[in-house]
Formats: sequence, C-alpha cells, structure tokens
Amino acid sequence: MNALLEQFLSESRDFLQGIGEKLMQLESDPESIPFLTELFRFIHTLKGNSGLFDFPEMTRVLHASEDLMDAVRHGRVHYSQTLTDQLLDAMDFVGILMDEIESTGRIGSSHASSSAKLTKSLRDLLAQASAPVDAPASELHGISNIDHPSVDQVLEEFAAVEVTPETGALPSLDAPHAFDLSEEVAMALFSHASQGTPVFWVTYHPEPDCFFKGEDPFYLVRQVPEVLWSDCILQAVPALLIDMDVYSSQLIFQLLTCASQETLDDIFRYVPDQVQRVEIPALTFVVPRGSASDNANDEEFISRTLAMLRDGELERAAHSLHTMLELSASDLWSSSVLRWVLAMIEFAPHNTPAQCALLEALLTHENPDLTLLAHTAPAPVVTALTAELASVEEAITPENVAALDDTSAPTASVAPSNTDALMPCFYTVLHAQKTVLTAPASAWLKGRLKSVASTLIAVHRAMNKLDEIAHIQNALDAALANNAPEPLLTWLEQTLAHQASREEVSDQAKPVSVLSDQVSVEDITPDAPALQHAQVALESSVEPAKSVQRPEESTPHFGRRADDVAVSTSKTLKVDQEKIDRLMNLIGEMVVAKNALPYLANRAETVFGVRDLSREIKAQYAVINRVAEEMQDTIMQVRMMPVSFIFQRFPRMVRDISRKLGKEVELVLEGESTEADKNIIEALSDPLIHIVRNSLDHGLETPQERMAAGKNAAGKLLIRATQESDRVVIEIIDDGRGINPYIIKQKAYEKGLIDESVLERISDEEAVNLVFAAGFSTAEVISDLSGRGVGMDVVRSAVERINGTVGIQSEVGKGTRLFLSLPLSMAVTNVMIIESNQQIFGVSMDMVVETVRVPRAQMSSIKQKQTTVLRGRIVPLLSLNDLLALPFAQQPNEDDEFATLVVRVHGEHVGIIVDDFRETVDIILKPMTGILGGLGGFSGAALLGDGSVLMVLNPRELI
Amino acid sequence: MGIEYKKSLAVLTEFVGVEEAENLLEWLLKNPKGKINLASCVHIHAANLQVLMAVKPTISAWPADENLQHWLSVLKK
Amino acid sequence: MKTILVIDDAATVRMYHRRILESAGYAVDEAINGIEALEKALEKNYDLFLVDINMPKLDGYGFLRQLRSQDMMQVPAIMVSTEAAKNDEILAYNAGANLYLIKPTKPDELLRYSQLLLGESI
Repeated sequence: MNALLEQFLSESRDFLQGIGEKLMQLESDPESIPFLTELFRFIHTLKGNSGLFDFPEMTRVLHASEDLMDAVRHGRVHYSQTLTDQLLDAMDFVGILMDEIESTGRIGSSHASSSAKLTKSLRDLLAQASAPVDAPASELHGISNIDHPSVDQVLEEFAAVEVTPETGALPSLDAPHAFDLSEEVAMALFSHASQGTPVFWVTYHPEPDCFFKGEDPFYLVRQVPEVLWSDCILQAVPALLIDMDVYSSQLIFQLLTCASQETLDDIFRYVPDQVQRVEIPALTFVVPRGSASDNANDEEFISRTLAMLRDGELERAAHSLHTMLELSASDLWSSSVLRWVLAMIEFAPHNTPAQCALLEALLTHENPDLTLLAHTAPAPVVTALTAELASVEEAITPENVAALDDTSAPTASVAPSNTDALMPCFYTVLHAQKTVLTAPASAWLKGRLKSVASTLIAVHRAMNKLDEIAHIQNALDAALANNAPEPLLTWLEQTLAHQASREEVSDQAKPVSVLSDQVSVEDITPDAPALQHAQVALESSVEPAKSVQRPEESTPHFGRRADDVAVSTSKTLKVDQEKIDRLMNLIGEMVVAKNALPYLANRAETVFGVRDLSREIKAQYAVINRVAEEMQDTIMQVRMMPVSFIFQRFPRMVRDISRKLGKEVELVLEGESTEADKNIIEALSDPLIHIVRNSLDHGLETPQERMAAGKNAAGKLLIRATQESDRVVIEIIDDGRGINPYIIKQKAYEKGLIDESVLERISDEEAVNLVFAAGFSTAEVISDLSGRGVGMDVVRSAVERINGTVGIQSEVGKGTRLFLSLPLSMAVTNVMIIESNQQIFGVSMDMVVETVRVPRAQMSSIKQKQTTVLRGRIVPLLSLNDLLALPFAQQPNEDDEFATLVVRVHGEHVGIIVDDFRETVDIILKPMTGILGGLGGFSGAALLGDGSVLMVLNPRELI
Repeated sequence: MGIEYKKSLAVLTEFVGVEEAENLLEWLLKNPKGKINLASCVHIHAANLQVLMAVKPTISAWPADENLQHWLSVLKK
Repeated sequence: MKTILVIDDAATVRMYHRRILESAGYAVDEAINGIEALEKALEKNYDLFLVDINMPKLDGYGFLRQLRSQDMMQVPAIMVSTEAAKNDEILAYNAGANLYLIKPTKPDELLRYSQLLLGESI
C-alpha cells in the first residue's frame, strides 16, 4: 500500500470518529452552529480526501452527505433524527469501505449497490426537505429529466420494428429508440449473442453540466471496445444556433457492443446513473429487411425446407436454402429471410421453432415476432433489464480499481511544460489577476495589488517575456501611489487586448483561444492533452497496456531532490503498534538482564571473594536499575490510551439500543481521559459493551414503568473511569430497577451453585455478586430476573484474564452499580516468590491478600477440610503440594508454623500452605505455549535475573 | 493541436479541447459555408461534437482514426 | 530552490500536493490551518502558497486577508477548493488569492500553474 493511501486511511478514521462524535453532540444541541460547521468541515474534508483516489463508491456517499450537511448548516434542511440515522449509516458504510481498502487495497463490487442506495436516501432527504423552499428535487440532482427511452420501451420498439415486405422500411434514425442495423451488423451481433457473448445496448445520457466537471463524455464513450453500432443524438438545438450553449451537454450516446458487462461498468463507473445497459436477446437481431418482391413464393420449397428443419436435417435444409438464394435477387426481403434462416442454422441450430417461424414468414409476408421464441433458445435471454440506478451499479465490478501504487496518478511525474502548453495557463492567470483587481476595495488592497504584480511578474518571467516586467513594476508603483487598482488594470487590459488583436490580424490559430470573459476560471477544463492524460490514467486501470500512452511515466522525477527538501515538523508522531510492542519486549528483557547484576555481585563476593568489586557492581546496578525503570515507565506511557477510546462508542450504542427498546436514556460519561495500557483498554472493550447493553436491556425500565415508580421518564446511565493508585476503576451506574437479591439467591440455590447453609447466611451484596458465577445465567433466568445474569460470567472471566476484578452493588428500585478494577498495565507483573518442595513458584501480587504463618495448633479440620480462623473469619486451607498433586507434606518452620498465602479467589479468601515465602520481583509474564500451554493452574512463566525460569501459579485454576 | 481557422476551412488536429467549442461555433456561424477538415484529428471533446452536430457543416476530410470516424459517421447524415 | 507552503487541514491532501510538487523539485512545507500558516509565513520566505478554503481556527480566506494585510506579503497564492462554487471563487480573489483551482488538482495542471506563478522560465 502506498504511503498516500495509508495516510488517507489513518486520517479518515480520525474524521469518521470526529463525525460520529459531532453527530451525537448535535443530537443534544441541534442548533449549535459550531457543531454544524465542524461536522460539515469533517465530511467536506473527508470527501475531498477520498476524491484523490479512485473510490467512487465512497466519494459518492460522502458527496451526498456533504451536500446534505451543507443544506443543514445553511438552514435549508432541518436537523432531524432521521438525518442523523442516515448520516451515521453513511459513515458506517464509509468505515466498512475503509476496512476493505485497508485489507485488500480496493473496494469490492458488492458495495456499489449499497453506495447507490445510501446516496439516494441522502439525496432524497435533501430533496424532500428542501423541495418546498428550493427548486424541484430533480434539479437538485443536477440531472435533467429529459425522457430517456425506457428500457422496456426500447425492447418493445425493437421487437416490433415494423418492416413490411412492401416497403422494407427501416426505423427512422431520428427516433432515438431504435437501431439502424445493416443485415451484416445485425448478423454479427446475432452470432455473438447466440454464441454466448452477450450483446449490450447502452445508452449514455451525460448530465448537462458535465463539461464543467472536466468530463468528456465523448471520450468516455469512445473507450467502449467492440462497438458494432453506435449513434449519437443531439437532443435540443435552439432555433437560433447563436443561442446554443456549447458548454451544456445535450448529447445522448447509444451503442451496441459485445464488450463484457464488467468492462462497461468499469468504463462508466463514475456516471452509472447516466447510463442504461440492457442485454439484448439474440433473436431480437433477426429482422429480415429488403425490398418486396412481386414473385409469388415457392410454397413447395418452403414446406419441403420446413420439414427438413423439423426433422433436424440441417445440412440438407441449408443446401436447399442456398440453392434458393442463388435463384433470388439478393436485395429482396425474401432473400434476407433465407439468409437469416441460414444464420440461425449456423448459430442457433437447436432453435427449430424460431427457424421454422422465420421461414414461414415467407408465406405471411410479415416479420415474425421471434422474441416470443427466445425462451426455447439456448442463447442468453433478457436479463437485468432494470434501469434502476441501483441495479446498474450492482453490476459494477471495479476489478481494476486503479492500482494504488506509487505510480498512480497522484504521483505521476510530469514532464517539464513547454511554452505552448503553458500558454492557456498563462492567460488563465492573467484573467484571474483581472478578477482580483476588480474585486471590491478592502483594507488589504495594497497587499492584493502587490501580490497581483508579483504574480504577473512571475508568469511573464516564466514565459520569457522579460521586457514586460518593468512595465508591470511601473503600473504597480502607480497603483500603490493612488491606492487604486486602475493602473495595473489598465496595463493588464492592454496586454490582453494586444494579445487578442495580434492573433486576429495574423489570422493564425489562436493559441488555444483567449478566454472570453464569460468563461470564468472554474469553467476551464485543462486543455486536451491534459484531459487525455487524466482519462488515460483512468482508463489504464482497465487496460494496463494503454499506460504506454503516458510518455511522462518513463522519466520519474519523484523525490530526486529529496535530500534537500525541507521537512515540516509535526507535533504528533504516528507509530506502528508493532514497534512499540517490540520496544516493550526489549525493555522487559532489559529489566530481566539487569536483575542478573545482584546475582553477579553476590557471586563476586562469595565465590571470588572480591568484596570491592561486588560493591561496585551493586552501585552500577543502582544506576542501571533507575534508568531501566524510567525507560520502562516512559514506554508504558507511550502505550497508555485514554478510556475515551472505548467510551466514544457508547453514545451511539446507547442511542441505538435504547431506541430499539423504546427506552429513554441519558448517558453521562466521566473521566474519559483516564488512561491505561493499550492492551487493557482493548481487552476491556467487549466486557464493557456487554455490561452497558445489559444495563440498558434489563437494568433500566421503560418510560411508563419509570413514571409509575415516580422516577424521571429518562433513565440515567453513568459510565465513569477513575484512577486509584495503580489501578483503573470503571463504574457503570444506572438508576434502574436494581437486582433483587432474594431472587438471585433462590435461583443460585435451584441451580445448585450454593447450598442451603450458604443460602441462609449469605449477605445481600454477596448474593447479588452471584450473577458472576459460572453457570448462573440461562435463558430462563433472564426472563425471570431483571436479567442481570446474561453472560456475566463471561464478563468476569474476560476481566480476570487481564488481572482485573469485577463487582456489583444494587438496591432494588434504586439502581445498580457495577465496577471493574483493572491494572494500569499488564506488561510487568509483580509476583511473590514462594517455595514448596524445594522448588520456587510465583504468585501474582494482585491476588495475594496477606501472608501469615499459622501455628499447627490453630489449624482445625471441618468436614475433612483444613481451616483456620483469621481475623474472625474462617479461612479454608489448602496445601500447595496437594494442589499440584505432589505426594509430600508441607514443611513447617522451626516454630511449627506453616507459611500460608492468603489469596482472593472469586471474592473468597483461601489460604494456600507453602513451605516458605521469598521476595517479590517484577517479571515479564509470558504465557506458556506449546505442550505447556495446555497445563492448567499456571498463568505463565518468566525468566529470572539468574537465568532460571519461574513458573507463575494461577490460584483461580488451581483451587 | 486544436483548430486552425483558414479562410473557409477549419482544420482540426489531434486533440481538440473543450475550450475550442465556443470559437468553433462562432466561426461556423460566421462562415456558413466553412468546411471542416478532420484528417489528422484524433479526438474532439464532446462540446465540439455537439457543435458539429448542431451546425452540420460539410466535412472536407474524415479522420484517419477509424474509431473516431465510426463515431463521427453521425455527421454524415 | 523555490519553497511552497501547502496549507490544508487534511493530511492526505497535504501529502498529495507535497508529492506532486516535490516531484518537480520544489521544496514543500506544510501548515494545517491559517494560524500555523501565518506563523510559518512570518518565519520564512515562501515563494508560493497553496491554500485550502475550509480549515479550522483560521480558514483560507482569513489567512489570505491577513497575509495581504501585511505589507511584505506579496507572494502569489493559489486557492484550492473542492467545489466549483462561483461564490467561493469570488471570495477567494477578494481575499487576495491569485488563482483558484479545483480539488483534486490534476498533477500536471498544478505544476504548470506553480511553474508560472513561481516565475520559472523553461
């Protein structure tokens, strides 16, 4: 993918996000001019950007959105929810296209119809809303409503071309609906169509102001290959030719081609709404024509040949037909019939009914309506006859979306222009300066005058007209002295007049004409080669071979002076995430490597007995340690992202869901700038969406219920992020119906999640938290309860996976508060090292509540389970060796106390008996892969400073 | 390139751009018997095409470019 | 070497113009709005400005008006707009643009006009 495209994608995503936010803000404050202006600017810029590329599907939708917003900001269209919906849909669509461009480099054909539909609905909105005030809708579209021959009409006319044997009359050429085909061309078309190459009838009706858009419809239509018949119609010629507006297209092009549908759609992909394409059935072409003959037909011959045809004796029939042909004058209608029957034998040998029907025409002297027999023919039948914009677009398969490599149009280098090529531009600039000079006076008039003079001097220098420069300077001085543009204007007008007269006198070709004053600068399209160039660029996507027409391409200048190009500075730098991850990994290894130094110091002293060296190593370690930690902090900072990254989608989501549910919700977001590590933020996204959805679905009541309960009709949903020391806390608070702990208890008991004793003593708060228990939620539960159970265990496990915790508080009738607590970063884990059975293990400090040494005397067994009482609370005790299925007893210390690690598992405190505690260390936890990956009970492994591997336990899985 | 206007003949060469259309119409109106030479013309912008179609001047030489000639046969009628 | 200041809030458009202009050997600086452009214009002598209309903070018209109000600011400016709106063009000239082009500018067209306005003879 080229850099420009990457830039486009990355910038566009920012715009899309901005647009989404602004739409949300506008919803609460639809009159806000700053919001409207900003929103318009976003869409406008996005459209402008997309116009640099070959993504008509995208540009079309954005253009329509822009027009709509333009109308809104000028008060022509009123802001409405429908409008927001439409625009949101449009932006979603654009987002999808971006994804596709990002992954495949192009836009798939499947999007063309959606693009057309979206565009249409946006345009409809514009038309509807502005119709009473403005011009009729049709004019807003810029497409005139001149009667297209409808497709049906065309086919009808075509099938029923009245060619009587008497006159042999051909359809009049003035009638735009019918074709004028010679028998030769008709037969060629017939042979194509009946042999599987569809023949398309194309009518292209360029919009009247297309010239102003730099289009050349004639050039476009000439790109259609394999045209077997073509026509061009000028619709309206004014009575007086002098009144003719040559810059308003009045043309209609029609053609018959064997080009493939894809080719056609590709050629006309920018103007699909101006093109109709119909596949013409083969038999439609079978129209015998010629002059009538006086001779009576040889009925015996006809019936004999008919019999041969019916019997499938095609060779004999053909022979007989040939013989008959030789005996007849070739310009007779009857001869034409014979030739057509022969053609049918050759190209459609199996369509006996059609062959016979045609031959029988010799008896009736009337062209048969063969199209009725089309269905029996193996040839293609009429397909896609609809001229609906959508369906035409549906067929567009931009297989060749311009290869967006560095050689495509935007970067194509351009050969130095010669004076001739510059001439029209030169005059354009002169005329522009005239406009500047005649602009109303203003405070900055002097600056404007000077700029005009410097521009004039520059262009004259460029054109090597150096003697003029002094005159310009003089005129400027005079103008500045008078503080008026006249002196410059006079000089300019003289120059222009002089130029014009010199050309007239010499009767030479005007060098691409002096532009008349009526033609404003914007009306001027580049001269022909430029256009040709642009068109070829477009065309080259269809036929790469054509690119040889661009000689400039062979001399790439791009970046030739890259070394001395001044690069402007920018304050933000976008960096690939992979690079940051790599940096993170490296610093992780650095931390581990640095941890080896204390071991080394130790060895220096104990093994080699060099105490001074040991001290020096330790001092050095302190320095490295500080730098490494600072580095680690800084890199973590880089990875930090504000939670607004997730929060930003809530306004839209809440809006959509609440509307669907018929609820009114006021969403409040707080602490959006709170930051956490990118991985945490990303991992948080799904659970949070789940929770919010749940709150909306089951927590908040309908407006009626709320009113009945004496609450505001609109429910309130608060999502708040705060930082508490090294953790981020996210709360989702609603003022809905709350959760009834009694029902939860009952359900949990029925499901066997708790036993009777628990049922009795469990507190309400603990009960509510049972919704997080695995296996709690079922469809049945959802309907009975306020439904908080839906997949909450999924939420919990997702949060726990990133070392987070989740909890819930609720008061019936008042509302529910759900909170998530998450580490700021997961890159470095603080673990406590413990010893058991002469091995060391790590346990994440996040889980450790406390470490205690429990005297054997204070341990008691209840129901064969070891327990002890800690701070007035019964804590179950488990031995690590047992948990790891090691057949050894835990070792107590000299005082017969057992080292016990109290961890929090699913909100419960559990004591794990180990042999001894050691220090805590920062490690980079790596998940285990391969065979070890399947090992339960461990959350990963880490490398220690001395090079040994530390297995980190996961008590949740162990217990 | 462009159009060269002679006494009663306009010679269209290579590519004839959109900006020529107005002058072409003017010239054709001023010279009702003016003829058009397309021999070395490769393409004319649609604006010029519709001028030629509206005025229907005599074509003194048809383009060598077959495709263009095919399309311009509409002027023969 | 001639230096052109490309002023546009859209990074994509800036890059597009930068590529075209650099391909012809011009140096290119960028500014993302009128304010930044003015700051840069005061710091450095540019030979040409390529100005977008619709930008935050200070739009293209505002930039040009400010520029033309400074006595020394006589550097030619090309205004580029996405729309062929008549009104935009008049406003552009009134504000002090010397040329009005429509986006997306065609590379060869842009280069021709740049060459002219920079006074570079062939």
